[in-house]
Amino acid sequence: MTDWRRIDIDAFDPESRLKTEDLLPPYTTQVTLAELQPKITQLRNLSTSGDISAAVQLAMQDPPYSADGATKAAYFQAVLDTLSQVRQADIANIVKQLSLDQEAVLVKYLYKGMSVPEGQRQGGILLAWFEKLTQASGIAPITHYLSDRRTV
Amino acid sequence: MSYAAAKFPSNADKSVLSVFKLIKGPIYSHCYNADRSLLAITSDNKCLVFQLSGTKQPRMFATLENHDKVVTAVDMSIHGRIVTCSQDRNAYVWEPLSDGTYKPTLVLLRINRAATCVKWAPNGYKFAVGSSARIIAVCYYEHDNNWWVSKHIKKPIKSTVNCLEWHSNGVLLACGGTDGFVRVFSGFVKGLDSKDIMANSPWGTKFPFGSLIREYYHGDYIHAVEWRSNLEKLAFVTHNGTLGIVDHQDHLQEVNSPDGLPFRALVWINDHEILCAGYSCHPVLFAESSQQWKFAKNLDKAARSSSPATTGQPGATGDAEEEENPTFGISALRKFKELDLKGKVSTEQQESAHDNAIVQLLPFAESNGQVVQVSSCGLDGKVVLYNV
Repeated sequence: MTDWRRIDIDAFDPESRLKTEDLLPPYTTQVTLAELQPKITQLRNLSTSGDISAAVQLAMQDPPYSADGATKAAYFQAVLDTLSQVRQADIANIVKQLSLDQEAVLVKYLYKGMSVPEGQRQGGILLAWFEKLTQASGIAPITHYLSDRRTV
Repeated sequence: MSYAAAKFPSNADKSVLSVFKLIKGPIYSHCYNADRSLLAITSDNKCLVFQLSGTKQPRMFATLENHDKVVTAVDMSIHGRIVTCSQDRNAYVWEPLSDGTYKPTLVLLRINRAATCVKWAPNGYKFAVGSSARIIAVCYYEHDNNWWVSKHIKKPIKSTVNCLEWHSNGVLLACGGTDGFVRVFSGFVKGLDSKDIMANSPWGTKFPFGSLIREYYHGDYIHAVEWRSNLEKLAFVTHNGTLGIVDHQDHLQEVNSPDGLPFRALVWINDHEILCAGYSCHPVLFAESSQQWKFAKNLDKAARSSSPATTGQPGATGDAEEEENPTFGISALRKFKELDLKGKVSTEQQESAHDNAIVQLLPFAESNGQVVQVSSCGLDGKVVLYNV
């Protein structure tokens, strides 16, 4: 019985299977791409007009947690484009204007960026954001990211 | 083994009353009897009982060993009965005998995963066990069969139950778990509890056993729940370092840990103050003023970088980049630089009484409805008493 931890005890009790969906947050509605499109457009307009600070604040407000993969990817691409348009010197100031909740969302997008090829091409700028963020708020946003079930 | 509290450099605020280093391994749970003369702790697959007198090092009194896997929780009833639960999926009730030994009775919980937490009801005639099998077992003694009966609460728990707490009425049972829900169930046992006690309760009108009274979704792991029964409020702490307070009208207030580390334990000090503790290894006090919960102060927290004599010349470490970031990563960097430059093994001074995470807080002494001393146990094998 040395490997008793490896025994699949659920195999004997088919009713007690826990599915991944069971642990998803109980979203009441699902955001669709069509609903999100105006926000993405607004985001792109703000970042092309150079108002990165407003763009970042908008992006970090109500991210589409409940959306499907494709919608999240589209939104993520818009966020990534915004984040990578900023000048390094401006990052610290923009981070300062974020609320705690917005910072927690920003960390999610930074980690998400580092995990996909599109983001890895912008790795340097993501790390710069990450550095300024942890300087401003310590490890709190990271703890929030690690334990949060709402993914971006 | 015993340390004088004064030896701790962090004890500048005189909050540490005594520090008992009891075992080498972690203490997952501890409890006291009513007059605080006995202390029971979990230690691997055993439960150790100590005699306590003042701030002297506790004296070993009894060893309770029947479990064959790690004991995860221990609790003592108002009558002095000890209940232990373990990863071996069983619980034992230990009846104290007149010769100082304990007589164990096995309680079959009928669960297929580890038991994680256990709490006696305030009257001491039933207890609840939480488990990784997504079940809460409420157990009570049946005289006719001379047997502890276990009744299950299953729905709608979706994941491991981390913590349990009885309301002072002995009927409402709050629990929190890794599914991110704080739930209030009814633990009403027919023949044991009287319906009168729940008359005029703001939580509802009917309380059949196992019914879900309230649920609050938070999303992160819930590590501890505590009732404030006279206010009909419930406080909980979570893995993202949040303290939440809810009431029967579903008003939720949340406040974040000042240093961002997760909390594992909490205790109500009075109606408007809560002490929390966790991975920052020292307790944190939160207070409510004009309906708003806010961080009040740290207990037993040392100033980070101690005297320059022990940390080397100021100019020797770091450039401007590091100076602007004193809280993040710097202490580790400095430690390795010290190691590299001077061959020092460690410059770390002991920073607080606990040097690993605090996993449980209990009220130790009260006066005028206010908790004045709090007891904690931690993964460092210590039990620490704090003045509040």
